[in-house]
Amino acid sequence: MMKAPVGGAKHQLLRPSSSALLLCALALPMQAHAAGTVAGSTISNTASASFDNGAGTQTIDSNTVNLRVDELLDVTVASNNPSDVATTPAGTNQVLTFTVTNTGNGQEAFGLSTIANVGGDNYDPTITGIYIDNGDGIFDPATDTLYTAGSNDPVLNPDQSARIFVVATTPGTVADNDRGIVTLVAAAKTGTGAPGTTFAGQGQGGGDAVVGSTGADGQDNGAYKVSAATVTLVKSAVVVDPFGGSEPVPGATITYTITATVAGTGSVGGLAITDNIPADTSYVTGSITLGGAPLSDASDADAGDYNGTRIRVQLGTVAGGQTRTVTFKTKID
Amino acid sequence: MRKALFLLIAALAPAQAFAANQVALDNNVFVERVTTDAAGKQRVLLEEPKVVVPGDRLVFVLNYRNAGAQPADKFVITNPMPSAVRFAGAGDTPPLVSVDGGKMWGQLADLTVPMADGTRRPAQPADVTHVRWAFQKPIPAGATGKLIFRGVVK
Repeated sequence: MMKAPVGGAKHQLLRPSSSALLLCALALPMQAHAAGTVAGSTISNTASASFDNGAGTQTIDSNTVNLRVDELLDVTVASNNPSDVATTPAGTNQVLTFTVTNTGNGQEAFGLSTIANVGGDNYDPTITGIYIDNGDGIFDPATDTLYTAGSNDPVLNPDQSARIFVVATTPGTVADNDRGIVTLVAAAKTGTGAPGTTFAGQGQGGGDAVVGSTGADGQDNGAYKVSAATVTLVKSAVVVDPFGGSEPVPGATITYTITATVAGTGSVGGLAITDNIPADTSYVTGSITLGGAPLSDASDADAGDYNGTRIRVQLGTVAGGQTRTVTFKTKID
Repeated sequence: MRKALFLLIAALAPAQAFAANQVALDNNVFVERVTTDAAGKQRVLLEEPKVVVPGDRLVFVLNYRNAGAQPADKFVITNPMPSAVRFAGAGDTPPLVSVDGGKMWGQLADLTVPMADGTRRPAQPADVTHVRWAFQKPIPAGATGKLIFRGVVK
């Protein structure tokens, strides 16, 4: 504890150095961040007193107390995906986005790792890479940096953030609406631990590094949700004979109805319905319909065609929850 | 060693300079460390730190003493806030504060800060740039006192 001796001589001696320290203190706001006073800087405090004891107004300074600001190790990780990221069975290069922020007060490198078997979900995504964004916020494996633990750990200044992409493959065995959670973990390279843990001499500016309230590591979850669709085909036949009955006799007409039902939250692409004309029957030309509307037999702009042995209706992409109904007719030979 | 040297020089200083400033102002800064004991009770310890980290709560203690033979009139103590410290209230003797570098003084609740759009908003503790105690009555010879204010390391 410093005791200021009574008298002015000491204070007069101190004054040049204390005003220099005050100048340093005034320069601090340029470096000050929301994360806190930059590690290694000095907090200087000097009070002054003015008074009149009969010989005019006099001013004295107190002693100056200097405190060094140590480095606080703090980091946060936040998912940037407001909701689950849609994926499909066996989908590759499925991207989750995170932001890693240095909330400490010194420059610090952070190690990154992922946890795919978190629990509380339906499947474990297969992590294929962690990428550090080049600044545009868009994942591009050609321009973003593939992260390798220990070799290119992101170095962040106080308050600085890095955008991190976690890239995964979805297993082919997943079902519609399955969720897969991935945790991204960032940990200060200087060290982690209970708040208050001190790493002597390892702070920026030569001081200590002290673990802050975050424990010097942070994590957050991102999740994929599988969007898949299944197709069900139901075929039925109605026979009309030439005599007004429904007997399958030569000359009778058979109307086939094929209903394709797509179920699930995803959609199916390239859906086509193909049916061979049964033996001992002849296709009734121009009889293909889709949703009640006739289609031509030629392979042309419309979706239907007949090539002499089978009919085909190309439905393209059909979303879950929709049905398509195709009919065609044959005559019993 | 250096401290001893200072004291030596102080002792050798001219007697007039000594007599002219017979009021002493001693400045101490403590940090409040909150610890939880085995029974779960929180204890607040005041430590004299050499190092601090952002978020630490500091207690600034100013001890004054009129060691002269004459009362000290118009006694004013001023402490500029270190820029890395956010004002966090004072002790039993509330100070006047300034939020503009020491031009205007008042109670924090009465002060305002200009905004970029030309309007003014009420001053916040973080705006305080200086604290000051201005005594109405002279400090008698031999009297001592203690003033306290708090701050948080930004």
